[in-house]
Amino acid sequence: MRHFLIVGILVVVAAILTYVGLDSANLMPVAASAQAVPIDEMWNLELIFMSFFFALIVVPLAYSLIAFRRKKGDTSDAEHMEGNTKLEIAWTVLPLFIVIAFAYVGAVNLAETRRVDPDAIIVKVTGIQWSWKFEYPPYGVVSDELHLPVDKQVLLQMTSTDVIHSFWVPEFRVKQDLVPGRITELRITPTLEGDYKVRCAELCGTSHAFMEKPVVISSQGDFDEWMAEQVKLAEQAAATPGGRGQALVAANGCAACHSINGAQGIGPTWSGLFGHEVLLTDGTPVSADEAYIAESIKAPQAKIVAGFEGQLMPSYGFTDEQIADVVAYIKTLR
Amino acid sequence: MTHTQEKSSMLGQGVFIFVYLAVLTGLEFFVAISFGSVPLLVVVALIKAAMVVYYYMHIYKLNLEQEGDEHSYEYKSGTNRLGLWLFLVSDSFVFGGLMVMRINLLGLTRPDLNQLLGLAVTSILLISSFFMNRGETLMHNGDRRGFLLNTAITFVLGLGFLLGVVLVEWRLAIHEGLTPDSGPAGAAFFMMTGMHAFHVFTGLILLAVIMANGRRGLYDEKNYPVEAAAVYWHFVDVVWIFFYPALYLIGTLA
Amino acid sequence: MRKTNYVGRGLLLLVIAGVAGYGIGLGIDLLISNTLNFSGSVPSAFALLLAVTAFFFGLYGYRGITRGLTWQILGTVLGALFVTGVRALMGSSKIFGAFLFSEPAWVFGALVGVISFLFGVGVVDDWMKWARGIDTPEHHEDEPGWEKYFYVSLDHKVIGIQYTVTALVLIAVGGLFALIFRTELAASQLQFLTTTFRLFNQTGPQLYNTLMSLHGIIMIISILLGISGIMNYVVPMIVGAQDMAFPRLNAFAYWLAVPASVLMLMSLILGGFDTGWTGYPPLSSRAPLGMQMFFLGVFTAGWSSILGSLNVIATVVRMRAKGMIAMRLPIFVWASISTSIIALTATQLIGLSFQLVMFQRLFGMGFFDAAKGGNPVLFQHLFWFYSHPAVYVFVLPGLGVISELLPVFVRKPLFGYRWIAMSSLAIALVGFTVWAHHMFTSGMNEYLRVPFMYSTLLVAVPTGVKFFSWVATLWQGKIQTPTPMLFVLGAIIVFLLGGLTGPPNAAISLDLHLHDTYFIVGHFHDTIFGGFVFPFFAAVYYWYPKATGRRMSEFWGKVHFWMMTPSFLVLTLGMMRVGLLGMRRRIVDYDPALGLDFSHFVMTIAAFLIGLSVLIFFINFFRSLKHGEPATGNIWNSRSPEWQVPSPMPVHNYEVPFEVVGEPYDYGLPGSKYVEFASADKVSHSHS
Repeated sequence: MRHFLIVGILVVVAAILTYVGLDSANLMPVAASAQAVPIDEMWNLELIFMSFFFALIVVPLAYSLIAFRRKKGDTSDAEHMEGNTKLEIAWTVLPLFIVIAFAYVGAVNLAETRRVDPDAIIVKVTGIQWSWKFEYPPYGVVSDELHLPVDKQVLLQMTSTDVIHSFWVPEFRVKQDLVPGRITELRITPTLEGDYKVRCAELCGTSHAFMEKPVVISSQGDFDEWMAEQVKLAEQAAATPGGRGQALVAANGCAACHSINGAQGIGPTWSGLFGHEVLLTDGTPVSADEAYIAESIKAPQAKIVAGFEGQLMPSYGFTDEQIADVVAYIKTLR
Repeated sequence: MTHTQEKSSMLGQGVFIFVYLAVLTGLEFFVAISFGSVPLLVVVALIKAAMVVYYYMHIYKLNLEQEGDEHSYEYKSGTNRLGLWLFLVSDSFVFGGLMVMRINLLGLTRPDLNQLLGLAVTSILLISSFFMNRGETLMHNGDRRGFLLNTAITFVLGLGFLLGVVLVEWRLAIHEGLTPDSGPAGAAFFMMTGMHAFHVFTGLILLAVIMANGRRGLYDEKNYPVEAAAVYWHFVDVVWIFFYPALYLIGTLA
Repeated sequence: MRKTNYVGRGLLLLVIAGVAGYGIGLGIDLLISNTLNFSGSVPSAFALLLAVTAFFFGLYGYRGITRGLTWQILGTVLGALFVTGVRALMGSSKIFGAFLFSEPAWVFGALVGVISFLFGVGVVDDWMKWARGIDTPEHHEDEPGWEKYFYVSLDHKVIGIQYTVTALVLIAVGGLFALIFRTELAASQLQFLTTTFRLFNQTGPQLYNTLMSLHGIIMIISILLGISGIMNYVVPMIVGAQDMAFPRLNAFAYWLAVPASVLMLMSLILGGFDTGWTGYPPLSSRAPLGMQMFFLGVFTAGWSSILGSLNVIATVVRMRAKGMIAMRLPIFVWASISTSIIALTATQLIGLSFQLVMFQRLFGMGFFDAAKGGNPVLFQHLFWFYSHPAVYVFVLPGLGVISELLPVFVRKPLFGYRWIAMSSLAIALVGFTVWAHHMFTSGMNEYLRVPFMYSTLLVAVPTGVKFFSWVATLWQGKIQTPTPMLFVLGAIIVFLLGGLTGPPNAAISLDLHLHDTYFIVGHFHDTIFGGFVFPFFAAVYYWYPKATGRRMSEFWGKVHFWMMTPSFLVLTLGMMRVGLLGMRRRIVDYDPALGLDFSHFVMTIAAFLIGLSVLIFFINFFRSLKHGEPATGNIWNSRSPEWQVPSPMPVHNYEVPFEVVGEPYDYGLPGSKYVEFASADKVSHSHS
């Protein structure tokens, strides 16, 4: 009996200490969305349960190792205890109720994270190996950055052009895969102004680790300002072939493989590309003129630069006009 | 040695079951081309499968010999029988997975296939099961000649099924534009019939082996291998009992 | 007489053949591609295959593995040449590929290679004879000596050891890969796996993806082999059988593991693959050639698992000793049955899901290609339908080992034996209903997620029964802690951490944050180490004397335990922490702004300590074969039948059969016995 009492007290103490320790360890990033609130509550509930059950098992186990160690020289067996049916029923039925209750709480919690605001802003998200494209339909703006006003729900309508990606900003908590051939949705209500990053959370190939773009949450005023500027930039860009080409490049994530500053990447750099000679894998030199660059976009596998074998550039389905614009842009890069 | 009475009753039962199966097949074909009820087709397939599993594959023989000399031929055959059924359970999961794939990709649509051809190959396979059952029953009753004859017929029918699917059905489908890479219907059709055909092919190999060894008189006394080959053959038939409606009968053309 | 240094001879031939193979590969590659690929895949492939084969040849000559590997190499080349020839005859333009042969040629060649290996090693010989009507003796006597472990043996004890040692080799390889990328991950920014680094046609980040993927699958295969090792060795003994129900099938299932492992290594060399072991399309349908080698390797290893579990079930059902009724089965047998039910059935689904991707790649069959009307999420359903129950395959035997060993070292009955037995079955059955909890963010039907949350949490109930029963077994016992018991206790604590971090993942809303982060990585490392690795070590330390007649060093066993356990806790708790804070899975590098550099550095140190402790274990394992303290009797004072006969275990296990006359775990009940051996004159039949 004495053993039970000591263990009982130790379990309670250990559970409390464990919970307090875990809770104060700052294990979660700052909560920056309305969806994060119920999720963090769920996490807190889990911490309580994990702490309690951890103590419930570890304390009697550790206690037994000390109090019930076999004494030196004692070769006899222990007391013949086969079981206790009441106890066994209890520790089957009680946990059964607990898990069902837990699942119910989980379902309610999930519903809270999925509250629908009919006036949510809509942003179309496209995942491309290895970049993000955000389209703001009412404004006609396309950007590789996600800008949102604080305290307003956004409905992200997402798809992928190639493989499965996943949208995740840790501070917002919620996550959703981007699947080719279908549109998946995610609703987020950012509640804390600041600069965050969206990073792809589903392994998507070579540069999965680096598939990240900025997420900026600002006041409504700042957001409107940014949007107006984007509209202006888009109009300016649409005026020249080079500008249009640059916009296409930004929207389609070419920078994931091709740098514009000479840095070595998955694909050849564009810095100083136009008009110079490149060496192909079979050793033949070729001049990087308009025809060569256009072909490299249309049929990327036709000519591969030496040192870049096995790097599969996808095809983008651009029209000839779009290709000409991109070439015009590349021509401007020194 | 068993009585002639038991032998003829087993043979008679084989005929009965075959008649039932044939009638049910006709029924499902009729249902499909007239009012096409999915639940009814599923139920008919389940009944057909249950009949084959119980009467032709005699599943009730499982784990029967529990007591006695564990070194006896009967006991060891019983162990082998359990092993074979465990293998068939495992193999069913492959075909189950293929069904899940078909249901997920095609739903209530089905590929555009030649119905007469489908009914023809299905009938050939069903008839082959009838002869397989005869062959097994006869060998079990010591009739080597009858066993060899009926198994040979099974083999020929099975080969007919295989060639019917691979040489005729597949070529016809490709000609009609249903190819492995033409879309989900083509992919499902070729993968399901291909995996099934592979099992028919391995079944034919097993039949060839037992015919060859049977001719040498190896099964006159100890004939468990005949049962094993027969049970495997019937299993392949059971799979088709589900694949046939899944590919040919259930659903509307896309 | 001078003792031949077999290992030395093998290593010498390894080096010679490796260099020669490298040269040959380089030459052939030069002829086809017109370039000298020094770090390329083809020279490396030739080098590796010829070196490994030559090593075994030097070790003991042209038999067993050597013959198998030789035939595998020849079969692969012939199969590939066949397809290449057919394609040439059909007027195909691309009859060669990036790695000498085209992808279809490699796939067919690899398949022919696996089949050729099985013929070459000799494991299908008896069956081929039976097919031709030739009878074979029921049992084959093995030669004495260590060579028999490299040939086909039908003895379950030899096969069990073959499985176990192969598992240990794979653990070393998988662990090495982990140490490589853990080194890269120790600090943010790319240190050596950079975009300019190239090996086997892969840049640094691509190589990371391959090594990370292979770490996963090689460890998984090592687990499957490890549990087969324990089950094969122990199950016939503890049910009183002379061998498994199907000894040839047993050998066949083991020998599948070797060509499977070769294929895994080939996947590293032939361009790697970047999908993780989960192989999701569309990424896997456009991954390099290594993807196909991986698929085929898993297929082969899967068949090993399926056939092995078939054997376990048949053995337990048909070959038990007299009196061994269900409720008197050793608890490990319940665990083995439960595991085998899953492995027998669900494994086919990973084979099928991979087969569909293979065919999508080879023939354009658009199962998972959205552009062709396929469904990428379908793959995930098919895949996880196996891969979730698979984790119960991994842990149920280990949990059975815990239940089996606790009574021995606590001198008390297993508390609630029946409930523990039923809990293994319950975990196996409920485990079939939870798979989509891996897919909460996948885009699957949103409402369908909720039932899976319920079923996932439900698994906690039978698992809890085990924990409570273990604590109750320890309570008021007389506890001793030799090395096997240390690993049992470590298993309980580590598996507890893994199990407690399950429910947060089951809660869908919370999982939206946790999915694809290091929290998950920490969770499954805890569950796997607690459910398999620790019990596996416990089982090896425990049954080693039964197999060899010697004990492993207690001192170094304790060093192994005390070095591994705290390091492992630091590693997995660290993983969970960084995951919560935003560290995603499967990334070669992470943002320094996350502030996780120090945590990663600590985790890398912990990983190396774990590696060191495993190295210590290996040395202990092999040294004790010759230098371990002799232990020929019932050194653990166990009631179990295998300890009532001398060690090493006699060849035919029990010369005299036993009958079960009591409960297995009635420690403390005066005068009780579990088994009683028939008196010698009652033995009526000989073991022929």
